[in-house]
Amino acid sequence: MNLFASFTEWKGYGPQKWIGLANYEQMFQDQAFWTSILNTGLFVLYIPAGTIFSIFVAALMREGINGWKTYRAILYIPNLLGYVIMGVIFSIYLRDDGTLNALVRGIFGAPIHFLINPFLAANSIGLILVVWLHLGFGIIYFLAAMNGIDQSIYEAALIDGAGFWKTFAKVTVPSISFAVEFFVVFNFIEVFARMFSFIYTLTQGGPGYSTFTLEYGIFDEGFQKFHVGYASAWSMVLFVFCAVISVVQIRLMQRRDA
Amino acid sequence: MKQASPFGPGARVAVQALMILLVIASLLPLYNVVSASLKSTDEFTANPIFLPQKVVADNYQYAAFSGGLLRYTVNSLLYVPIAVVLYLAVCISAGYAFGKMRFAFRLPLFLIVLFLSIFPQLLLATQVFKLISVMHMTNTGFGAILSWVSYFAPFGTYIMTTYFADMPYELVEAARIDGAGPLRILISIMAPLAMPMIATIAIIGFQSMWNELPFSLLILQTQEQRTLTVGIAMMRGEFGLRVPILSAALVIAMVVPLLTFLLFQRHITLGVTAGAVKG
Repeated sequence: MNLFASFTEWKGYGPQKWIGLANYEQMFQDQAFWTSILNTGLFVLYIPAGTIFSIFVAALMREGINGWKTYRAILYIPNLLGYVIMGVIFSIYLRDDGTLNALVRGIFGAPIHFLINPFLAANSIGLILVVWLHLGFGIIYFLAAMNGIDQSIYEAALIDGAGFWKTFAKVTVPSISFAVEFFVVFNFIEVFARMFSFIYTLTQGGPGYSTFTLEYGIFDEGFQKFHVGYASAWSMVLFVFCAVISVVQIRLMQRRDA
Repeated sequence: MKQASPFGPGARVAVQALMILLVIASLLPLYNVVSASLKSTDEFTANPIFLPQKVVADNYQYAAFSGGLLRYTVNSLLYVPIAVVLYLAVCISAGYAFGKMRFAFRLPLFLIVLFLSIFPQLLLATQVFKLISVMHMTNTGFGAILSWVSYFAPFGTYIMTTYFADMPYELVEAARIDGAGPLRILISIMAPLAMPMIATIAIIGFQSMWNELPFSLLILQTQEQRTLTVGIAMMRGEFGLRVPILSAALVIAMVVPLLTFLLFQRHITLGVTAGAVKG
């Protein structure tokens, strides 16, 4: 149905007019479309940092530092509140007259335009969502995976005189490689298919269309401008990306269950 | 977790310092919201960062009544539990069918379920909205509930399937010899044994549906029907720039998620790892 709609001019109701590939031609010339693709790419670039940092903090907690359970619970709180609440919180927090800028102004004399500068706005979203917000989730996830590692390997490493860093690189990370792959796939799903609520509440895609993603573009064209036929062309692109991710995910699951 | 540690005393201090830094980074935005919600608009302009000098409750009163937050909370507390019950019925029965029964096209159907569980909501939004309007359920809680259950059930079904598939088949055999039908086996034997996982997906379902935005936004367009999540998302425009009132509304919206966390922390922790890390 979506495929058919993508070849038509359609408002979501009333008659559908067949216009062939015109929607796709328009899309490939649409600056907002390429910005969406670039933003998605930018968010993907944050995935390695977010993954490594989560594993690192989980590995520190695994060493049984005092109060690790409390830290684990507190760091999960932002995750728990969901994208809508976090998006609205950051929309207040990062504004030019917001609390963070009150602090910045106190130190540097001028605010940082987190939500007005297109580059900063897109990177704020990437950093907050992919690295900061997923940290609490990643910690719980990787701690559970590390639970499965045989304790005697760590004792052997300690006797051999391997320090934390060496053990981290040679024992911990290789032993949980499966969990790492799943976590990366999970992050890809988040970036391609789960960011709408956060962007809607934090920037509404703005300034201009500079924080659009494919998802947000579909919402904007389809449900705000009622260009449903055109939005369907965007949908087909997103669909292809998601199909690829899904194939990777199903492969991973089959390998684990085998 | 264990006694032997590769950290010396200096490293221990550094690790604790890092943890405290992370805790501050996690809680600072929340602190700001709570502290702003207790200030008058004038005080917030003069003192955006530090604790309020004079605590006021006006913002809460305004957000709850004029802002409609009370109404939205009641809506959410009404819709989401009904949705969770439906969701559990679907996930448990479908999960059992995929996990323990044999029928035609089982594998292809299961792969479709897996694929649907990662599908972006915006790809389905046009179709879902059409379906709901054909059934004359736009602007009704039940319309939203149906859209949530149909969207979130695939993931829960997937988790229940892997759980049921790992349970010993002899249990089913024994019950069948005693003359029990599939429904009876599921209700009296399998479901009680799967209780820990059922509780976990109940929490996952509750959280996802409580926080759901796109479908609710499209289906619940009248103000009286909004859920808390839609209400919060729409509020930015409605309250203009008055941060203290917006903050009070956010604090109200945080209450239920935080309560579920306090009560069901163990299941939430389990839920994070369900479906990926085995064992």
